[in-house]
Amino acid sequence: MFLSRVKLKENYRTRIYNKKKLVVYFFVMVCIFLLLCVRVGYLMIFRSDHYTELAQQLHERERQIKAARGKLIDRNGVVIASNETVCTVSVIYNQVKEPEKVIQILSETLDMKEEEVRKKVEKISSREKIKSNISKETGDLIRSYDLDGVKVDEDYKRTYPFGSLASKVLGFTGSDNQGIIGLEVEYESYLKGEDGEILTQTDARGVELDYVVEGRKEAVPGQNILLSLDVNIQKYAEQAAVKVFEEKNAGYVSIIVMNPQNGEIYAMVNYPEFNLNDPYTLNYATEVEKGSTEYQDLLNKMWRNQCINDTYEPGSTFKIVTATAGLEEGVVTPESTFSCPGYRIVEDRRIKCHKIAGHGSETFVEATMNSCNPVFIDVGLRVGPERYYTYLERLGLMGKTGVDLPGEAGTIIHKLENVGLVEMATMSFGQSFQITPLQLLRAVSAVINGGTLVTPHFAIGVCDEEGTLTDTFSYETIEGTVTEQTSEIMKDILTKVVSEGGGKNGQVEGYLVGGKTATSEKLPRGNGKYIASFIGFAPADDPQVIAICLINEPEGIYYGGTIAAPVISSLYEEVLPYLNIKKAE
Amino acid sequence: MLRGKRRTRKSYFDYSLMFLIIFMLAFGLLMLYSTSSYNAAIEYGDSTFYLKKQFFSTLLGLFVMFVVANIDYHKFTWTGTVGYVVSLILLFLVMSPLGKTVKGARRWIVIAGISIQPAEVAKISIIMLLALLINNNRQNIRKLSVTAKLFFFCLPLAACIMLITNNMSSALIVVGITFVMLFVASPKYNHYVILGVAGVTVICAYLFMGSGFRSERVDAWLDPESYASGKGYQTLQALYAIGSGGLTGKGLGQSVQKLGYVPEAQNDMIFSIICEELGLFGGIAVILLFLLMIWRFLIIANNAEDLYGSMIVIGVMAHISIQVLLNIAVVTNVLPNTGVTLPFISYGGTSILFLLTEMGLVLSVSKRIKLE
Repeated sequence: MFLSRVKLKENYRTRIYNKKKLVVYFFVMVCIFLLLCVRVGYLMIFRSDHYTELAQQLHERERQIKAARGKLIDRNGVVIASNETVCTVSVIYNQVKEPEKVIQILSETLDMKEEEVRKKVEKISSREKIKSNISKETGDLIRSYDLDGVKVDEDYKRTYPFGSLASKVLGFTGSDNQGIIGLEVEYESYLKGEDGEILTQTDARGVELDYVVEGRKEAVPGQNILLSLDVNIQKYAEQAAVKVFEEKNAGYVSIIVMNPQNGEIYAMVNYPEFNLNDPYTLNYATEVEKGSTEYQDLLNKMWRNQCINDTYEPGSTFKIVTATAGLEEGVVTPESTFSCPGYRIVEDRRIKCHKIAGHGSETFVEATMNSCNPVFIDVGLRVGPERYYTYLERLGLMGKTGVDLPGEAGTIIHKLENVGLVEMATMSFGQSFQITPLQLLRAVSAVINGGTLVTPHFAIGVCDEEGTLTDTFSYETIEGTVTEQTSEIMKDILTKVVSEGGGKNGQVEGYLVGGKTATSEKLPRGNGKYIASFIGFAPADDPQVIAICLINEPEGIYYGGTIAAPVISSLYEEVLPYLNIKKAE
Repeated sequence: MLRGKRRTRKSYFDYSLMFLIIFMLAFGLLMLYSTSSYNAAIEYGDSTFYLKKQFFSTLLGLFVMFVVANIDYHKFTWTGTVGYVVSLILLFLVMSPLGKTVKGARRWIVIAGISIQPAEVAKISIIMLLALLINNNRQNIRKLSVTAKLFFFCLPLAACIMLITNNMSSALIVVGITFVMLFVASPKYNHYVILGVAGVTVICAYLFMGSGFRSERVDAWLDPESYASGKGYQTLQALYAIGSGGLTGKGLGQSVQKLGYVPEAQNDMIFSIICEELGLFGGIAVILLFLLMIWRFLIIANNAEDLYGSMIVIGVMAHISIQVLLNIAVVTNVLPNTGVTLPFISYGGTSILFLLTEMGLVLSVSKRIKLE
């Protein structure tokens, strides 16, 4: 019965209307299919750019090519900060096929804790950095294992061929090759360069397809910076600093050597320096644990550039400024006579001279040679606070020097309205305010170079690999801050200070040196801590080089004239011939 | 004519259709390999994993096709009712432990290690059943009641496919086949226009006013880029593939979207990869190939020996045309995303086997065409 129902009842023929309707259906389908063709055509012609772009964004991964950081080159073309090729090891999670093997090999070759590596290998991310700054040899070794999902990328690491030389000036770079302190920070934008990128295609799992490299944007290496620093002068200065540092068991010794005519700094030493190739290790033994906040504080302290980051009371070297103000104001001439009873009473204060018996009657020149406080109190009071402050302003002592290093400290000084007689008196011989050594050096430079206030600086400009300048930086100079006449007088006086006065130890055989010593008692007074300093320039009649030496907290004899002046003297013995400065007849 | 004898049986065989089928199969295997090899290598460690399976299904299908083609189709009248009942049973078996879930969809049953998709069996069954029923109700097919009665045969199947396997597109195809076959069989138009409009309205209402899941699917359809990480993902990836193909395509094997971006690239979305690799020309060529095939069905159907044979071919024609239409419309985001494969090209063993069986039937019908 079932079968009978499934049998064909009869064998009918197809009717014409069936055929017609089938043709209708066919044409409906033709129309629909053609519309689909139109749709496909629309998508593939008019929407093509849109979808191609979206698809590319989806497919392409950027991988950075690190740009080589620009070099730091000294004035003679010696490279003092360079790059070496190092490797960065990273893993791509979904490409790793043998995680255990990867963890084991990486922890062994990279000398890392297994858990640390495991955490990174097992972290689900498109790319996880395991360790950077490993040597090229280690990188090649890891490459040789040919582990799936382990990528070794080459990178650059900053190296400093001279180790600790000028460490606080040059600064160093961090793990991403960015400047941390010093010139490396200041000229980051020049040195950094532009990272390139490789566009690679990936599949949906994020696996890079080696065979399809879409585009490559080359890295633009950073620009080289030509420095005014001279490695040899820096070395001489550092040797001189080390010698006195050890002899006097000092806290630190700073030396700046500068060209007073244009502000180019030849050397800046802050001894003890630290190793630029290992900047995160203290340069002395300590029990503080590495990595602790305390350790970081100590590191920050170690990295300080005392020449510009710290202020001090300049003491007697500041008498140069007071003398200049007095001469400019006409309240004193070299021949003016004074009398020093060993103290001066200002208001209710009795301010002592360092020679308790007093210098007696003396000319202004003699008073400077003697570094006589009462005379300078008189000169200061004659100039008066308001006028005195304008000279401070003119000589750049109220503002920062504009040196091309980060973190420059500013002047700490009384407000003009608070300056009474006592304050004026103490300021006259360099007390009761604080400036940086570089500020003083710049001010004295202006006094002795004919009145041009220069901007101390390290970078001369951008240079090519050979050290040839391609772009010179310009620095502000202000002319006429001191009259020529006063400048000449000051040079004479300061030359006498060295040839006959308190700066005798600053003499250099065959050269005429001008200068001034200082012995500043550190605050609080009476704690027995001093900063001995000497500022000297040569040749005295046409200064080509000016230098300052600060000895912080020396043990034993602490007079600037006794311990600081010889440092500059010994330095000049090397530097002056080195700079081809002719000996005086 | 030349021999002058009207009943002379010159053995006709639609070689055009056969070569079209073989070309389509070869092209399908090529594109399947291109599309699936990368993922197959990653998932199964064998780039020819999908190709091999499909190749064996194709061989089996070709064998079946030639066997069926050489048997008088009048001997298959029983398959209509039997197939209808069997496919209902198979559909219910999906709910039994024999059922198999692949990628979240429970649409397969596994018998003796072979997985079968009952919906594919249902498609060929409804064709065979309706061809028989239309033939048997030839005399009063113009009556609305008869048309309606015949139409209701497809509903249990469609409902089971829809409810048990949650496969809307296959249900739609079953209904569509029925609709087309009845439309051609009946001399009337107005019934079908009304029915057609009503059907489209119901589907639209179902889509737009449905539950949250479906309306999100519609939202994703209207603006796939806003649903890029959710419902719109597959569609959007297909659009990326099509769009990035451009006029001439990236070249065979050069698709990037097949590298895991387009989910199920070797299945429903294979057309997008064809477009990406072979460009607009390749994409349109595929559409025209199907059109060519449908045209051959038209020729065979209109020259068939009898209404029964003609209706079988019309059913197959309806099946292929609707399925191609749905697939390409979905891939190009003309219609909301619903899982439907591209005949002969998409990966799927049951699909290729039953498609080739249908082709065997069509060729069998073509063999009995009398040349005059």
